[in-house]
Amino acid sequence: MEVAYYPGCSLHSAAREYDMSTRLVCRHLGISLKEIKDWNCCGATAAHSLDHLLAVSLGARNLALLDGMKMTRVTSPCANCYSRLKAAAHELQHDEILKTEVERILEAPVPCGVEVLSLLEMFVTQVGIDTIAENVSKPLKGMKLAAYYGCLLTRPSRISGFDDPEQPVSMDRLLEGLGAETVDWSHKAECCGAGFTAAEVGIVLDLGGQVLEAARQAGAEALVVACPMCQLNLDTRQGAIEANRGTRYDLPVMYFTQLMGLAFGYSPRVLGLKRLLTSPFPLLKTKGLL
Amino acid sequence: MPIRIGESSSSLQERVEEACSVDLSQCYECGKCSGGCSTTHLMDYTPRKIIQLIKLGYCDILYNSDALWLCVGCHLCVDRCPAQIDIPRIVDYLREQAYQQGIKPTREQVVTFNALMLGSVFKRGRVSEATLMLQFNLRTRRYFKDAQLGTKMLVKGKVNPFVPGVKGTRELRRLFRGKPAGKER
Repeated sequence: MEVAYYPGCSLHSAAREYDMSTRLVCRHLGISLKEIKDWNCCGATAAHSLDHLLAVSLGARNLALLDGMKMTRVTSPCANCYSRLKAAAHELQHDEILKTEVERILEAPVPCGVEVLSLLEMFVTQVGIDTIAENVSKPLKGMKLAAYYGCLLTRPSRISGFDDPEQPVSMDRLLEGLGAETVDWSHKAECCGAGFTAAEVGIVLDLGGQVLEAARQAGAEALVVACPMCQLNLDTRQGAIEANRGTRYDLPVMYFTQLMGLAFGYSPRVLGLKRLLTSPFPLLKTKGLL
Repeated sequence: MPIRIGESSSSLQERVEEACSVDLSQCYECGKCSGGCSTTHLMDYTPRKIIQLIKLGYCDILYNSDALWLCVGCHLCVDRCPAQIDIPRIVDYLREQAYQQGIKPTREQVVTFNALMLGSVFKRGRVSEATLMLQFNLRTRRYFKDAQLGTKMLVKGKVNPFVPGVKGTRELRRLFRGKPAGKER
């Protein structure tokens, strides 16, 4: 299977391990990722909150680049990049006036009907959990994981059209396919504080703290994410959250692709597990996964 | 029927409805948006009240409200709304209006951060998180903010100031339509 790949800025810097593990497990499953040539930043919160036309145009340029590659299906591991690209595709498809204006600014036609999938969605709907389970050589036995989806993988539901907006289960099923146990918990799709991490860190400590506390109360030993922003907030701010709440969490926050890679038999080194601030190694050791 | 208290009242509702493709007459004030909202406990006006203020035409209150800059864009409100009113889009619209009119935001740092990020997109087409954080700390004169965390991230290889930019920057800059992106006023 061939699919266009939109990694986004984070996967080149803070979330490089997400990129590494994504490429590895895709290769393992026979998925050929074709990186969009010369892709640009999605603009994230900054663009859509200050300049709507710019936000749509940034997505439109990436869609036009896909057209040049003769690709009609694209996946992004980053929840924000995915959400922005899909929102742009949706708006351009449903608003003829906006499309004309964006094409005039871009000086290029924007293709219609591009299928934008989050990486999780691609694995679940295009590959299938059964196939993924068949590739497991080292089951994640005895691991109690909290699947954390965050906001943008499933919302807004009329655009994402994937899983339940507030009680999603796809990542849980996938992790169970890898042999792990998942916990039922309240904060699967609550917000971590997202882009406030620099400007209003108090909000991240508040919202992120609630997520970590809920995971702890549900008995999870680690959190599993599919978004670089969620990972950054829950992992790098975990120390500050602990100080703030006076509770020690020590909960590793891993990308679901890292766990897929581990279950497929890859070493923690090539999956970039050493790059996480809250080390998952003590946990992996007790489960005999090292 | 939009409530017409003055000339401005109907025009704000109509402008919002036009720009955001929403129908505010469908709102029956159930408050599920405010119940779901991630940051409602911090807001001066909850999402439900924002809709009401639009109907009443209170531009000034809305453009100066703290709520505009506290919306995190989690989309819980729109997914819970029985009328599927796209509240995040409405908040984006109000933010953009306030920003364009040069109204001083209650959370200046949020705007500073967003403007710096757009500045990076304008210059290079992509964003280096490390450079952006550094720029932000310099601009807000918090030179040692997150210094310890930054060091830890550096050790873990999570800091990469050399994210390659896009090649088609000229074409990309056209998307900004001559607006001074990232240049704070």
